[in-house]
Amino acid sequence: MNFAAILVAAAEDGADAGKAVALALGIGLGALGAGVGIGNIFGSMIQAVARQPELRGELQGIQWLGFALTEAVVFYGLIGGLLAFVLV
Amino acid sequence: MKRALASFTTLVLVFPATTLASTVEGGEEEEKFDPSHEWLLHDWIPIHLGPVNLSITKAVAYLILASLLTMLIGWFLMRWKLGSDPDNRQTAGEWIYEIAQTQVAEQGLPSKAIARWFPYVASLLIFVFVVNMIGFIPLPLSDEKFTIGGVELPTLGIYAATSTLSVTLTLALLTFVFTHVEGIRNNGVRGYFKSWIPEVPKAMYPLIVPLEILGQFMRLISLSVRLYANMLAGHMLILTFIGLIFVLENVFLAAVAIPFAWAFYLFEVLIVVGIQAYIFAALTAIYIGSAIEPEH
Repeated sequence: MNFAAILVAAAEDGADAGKAVALALGIGLGALGAGVGIGNIFGSMIQAVARQPELRGELQGIQWLGFALTEAVVFYGLIGGLLAFVLV
Repeated sequence: MKRALASFTTLVLVFPATTLASTVEGGEEEEKFDPSHEWLLHDWIPIHLGPVNLSITKAVAYLILASLLTMLIGWFLMRWKLGSDPDNRQTAGEWIYEIAQTQVAEQGLPSKAIARWFPYVASLLIFVFVVNMIGFIPLPLSDEKFTIGGVELPTLGIYAATSTLSVTLTLALLTFVFTHVEGIRNNGVRGYFKSWIPEVPKAMYPLIVPLEILGQFMRLISLSVRLYANMLAGHMLILTFIGLIFVLENVFLAAVAIPFAWAFYLFEVLIVVGIQAYIFAALTAIYIGSAIEPEH
């Protein structure tokens, strides 16, 4: 195999590798941010309930709303990664 | 000793499966397993109106089933044989109603709009929940076929109609349209669009106005993509874990893959399905409520 053939093969593999990296970065960075956010929400919820247990019912609705809004961030990353994977 | 015996019997039971799998593979054309094939929609009953494709596909079949089931739930739990001495069935219906009222409608809608928008928000809650839920019950609605005694039957499969973007985008579009119609109806065209812009110095307007307009459309995207991606990722995870056995062609991997697939299945069924239905309905209520009564 001469040098040019190796370069061509590397370019093709490189495109695939780039797609894989895009997908992994999308979901990975998304999960990083959402992990911090979700931890924050549940941590705050525990503190709030520990201070005022009688507010638990009211806080639960807000907690799940915040959880779902934060968790969705992972999926924006995933969709972005999938777009890079499929379209490019 | 008992434990060793149990694992030994499991191994013995697993061995025929390996031979079975290898014979099937030898007999058929080699076809790579790809989880994304589950999301290819084939026309089952083609209906074409010019350029508009209204064919019955897998997703449409699931949607029809879910709509019928939603109506049945509403009628059976909340309309049929109601008395002042409630039985379990009626209690369940009242529980659903109470969640829809206190947790969803009253969270977002102002009290003057509840009478008009409670039905929409509550049916969204039940409908999205049912669509998500039947997506996790194996139903004989899939494109793969197998034969028993000469009869070709579809295999059992799990698929959620909400894991296609078209379905969730349509639901989000409904909310989007209702939001602006209600906003204009209650505040007038001028008053409503003025309420989008927060009180900032005039010099900031060129920066703020495009952002606020963009924000209104981002709501559409976030509302639809949240539900879509949640259901897609849930199904994809389960499929990928079970698919690992077939991709790597190693039956012993099932010992790891099946428990993981079960764990994700339980997580989805117990938490994600309910939460996503609740979030979709609650955000709809909040968006419509904030258009009817802008904060400033």
